[in-house]
Amino acid sequence: MTNLNGIVEQINLLEPIPAIASQIMTKSEDPDSSLAEIADLIVKDPALTANLLKICNSAYFGLPRKVESVQNAVAWLGLDQIVELVLTNSVSDNFNKGLQGYGLGEGELWRHAVTSAHVAKNLARRYGVSQNKHLIYTAALLKDIGKLILGRFVAFSFEKINILVHSQGYSFNDAEKNVIGMNHEELGAMVGEKWSFSEKLIYIIRHHHLTDESARQDLETTLIYLADIICMMMGICSGTDGLSYRFYSDVLKRINVSEKDLQAIIAETSENQQKIEHLLKLF
Amino acid sequence: MGKYQRTANAVSSMTAVNFSEMKISSNPVETLVAFSIGSGIGMTIHDPVGGVGGVLNFILPDSTKANGTNPEKSPFMFADTGITAFLKALFEQGAKAENLKVVIAGGAHIIDQTGVFNIGQKNLAALKNSLADYDVKIHHEAIGGTKSRAISLEIGSGRSIIKTFGEEEEKV
Repeated sequence: MTNLNGIVEQINLLEPIPAIASQIMTKSEDPDSSLAEIADLIVKDPALTANLLKICNSAYFGLPRKVESVQNAVAWLGLDQIVELVLTNSVSDNFNKGLQGYGLGEGELWRHAVTSAHVAKNLARRYGVSQNKHLIYTAALLKDIGKLILGRFVAFSFEKINILVHSQGYSFNDAEKNVIGMNHEELGAMVGEKWSFSEKLIYIIRHHHLTDESARQDLETTLIYLADIICMMMGICSGTDGLSYRFYSDVLKRINVSEKDLQAIIAETSENQQKIEHLLKLF
Repeated sequence: MGKYQRTANAVSSMTAVNFSEMKISSNPVETLVAFSIGSGIGMTIHDPVGGVGGVLNFILPDSTKANGTNPEKSPFMFADTGITAFLKALFEQGAKAENLKVVIAGGAHIIDQTGVFNIGQKNLAALKNSLADYDVKIHHEAIGGTKSRAISLEIGSGRSIIKTFGEEEEKV
């Protein structure tokens, strides 16, 4: 077992999420807050506004006219898109690095995070939870934040983890827990607590591999899980952990995902990937 | 095209073949590579006589289950349409069915992903079905399990290299 306090202390080494992004995250998760309130928050932060306008004016969006204000950007792209861009932008510095231990090169965890966020968003639309779409997007984007810290400990203990996974039938997250004393879900939830994420967001990060049976009853967590396994199956930047997580067919049945649906979602993700690749270059 | 690296003898190039893509080459200093394969299958085919080869990186077994996706637009997403188009393109470049060396890697699954949801297994079955139509055999395969893989093909030597995380690489 590793010194767990030593691991937890390393949360401080992460690039803290900007306060404005946390506020926007909280507002966007709250069904009672209005779109205007969110736009107001963005406008109050000149650095964020400048960055956002730069992104909105990039060739990616191909807008017919230059966007010069947040109101303008919202009018052209819609507030949902603007919220996504702000949230994505606020965490890109942390995720856009290589990741020792998980065998991921520079930008690979980022590609996985953004792709799974888009898959999750599409699943939310498909399975009728659009009122929580920002939460679902954010949760999919941030679910592996614990890996940013746990990576070096995984690297150190990799042989032991690998044996448990490939000789003793452990899932990768269970093997992390067994060998290191903590897995990337728990560590990610601690980051969420430290950064004052909402309770629901912390819950999803903590349970996104659905090891805990009660989490399998939760629709939002299930959709994040499903987005994650779809990315794993498609090989979207899976590393040393590969596809070594547990599959729960009863969960798919519960939310009415058939084999054909699963294939259709994979096909749809593949078709969107080029667009996501362009999007990744904006951050 | 891919990144160019100067080697002792020539300028060699490496070209990535992303999922739902296929690439063919007769450039002897080119290496085609499909990185990060999960349930999909990376398939290298080489004809040493014709000096031509290619890599197909498909992710789904059956274009008729595409549900909204147009297989004509994305033929290389699927085993059925992808393998047919891949072989046709190789034959057009002068490859002959009897010369072909086929190597495949991928078809992995999530732990306990059995039955109808095991897309990796379905991909393998679909691949075998399609190859049987052309009487083409598989020379070597690294299939199944829960690890992701990468497969590359050196056009000049016809050698395929399979990399599986945590294992020795296989050169065939």
